[in-house]
Amino acid sequence: MKKRFNPIKDKSSEIIEYLMSSPDMPDDEGLRFKLRLSIEEAVENVVRYAYEGGIGWLEAGTSLDHDRLSLTIELRDAGVPFNPLAQDDPDITLGAQEREIGGLGIFLCKKMMDSINYRYENGNNVLTMTKQIKN
Amino acid sequence: MDIQIKNDNGKIMVTLDGRLDTSNADKFQEDIAPLMEGDKPDIDIDCTNMEYTSSQGLRIFLMLQKSVMARSGKMVMRNMNPQVKEVFDITGFSNIITII
Repeated sequence: MKKRFNPIKDKSSEIIEYLMSSPDMPDDEGLRFKLRLSIEEAVENVVRYAYEGGIGWLEAGTSLDHDRLSLTIELRDAGVPFNPLAQDDPDITLGAQEREIGGLGIFLCKKMMDSINYRYENGNNVLTMTKQIKN
Repeated sequence: MDIQIKNDNGKIMVTLDGRLDTSNADKFQEDIAPLMEGDKPDIDIDCTNMEYTSSQGLRIFLMLQKSVMARSGKMVMRNMNPQVKEVFDITGFSNIITII
């Protein structure tokens, strides 16, 4: 299933809940935690930074592979071209005073999902995140 | 997300309940603003009922930890559920915040 949200300013929660309520979502609480976290971080990234003033659209969807073993979340927007995967990971060995505030969102997505891919296609940023949900 | 802050003989007891996410992180930051003041703060955060945190929450916990350290105070977070603990572990926050 997928849906286009427009405009997206202040709509993060609505988009997150739409994806979390997808019939493709697993019931397992631990998995849902990881998926919710990845979705929130990725959606926030688009809502906050993709469009000036948050005026623009975001298409959010979920799908299962043919074995129904893995779930893919896809986010598509027409904002500023931005590859979140090109960012350096934060240095997680630093002490509190040296740690910068922020920069953890996409890092968490990478850690929580099995794979995450970005492409720029027909003027759209397309982020896909996949997680195995059944053995 | 509900937050309770009590002063117990100089020790600041904080109880968190619910999900800390993008919908309430700004409110949470306002709620804990009083903890950013005072000398040698002693802050104890009970996370038993904190169901979830995203990077929005982590950002605020890091600000608080920095602020407490700068004032020679101490802060502990206790009873995190395993999923929340994993978020702190993965991001290295378990090394910079005392979790018991």
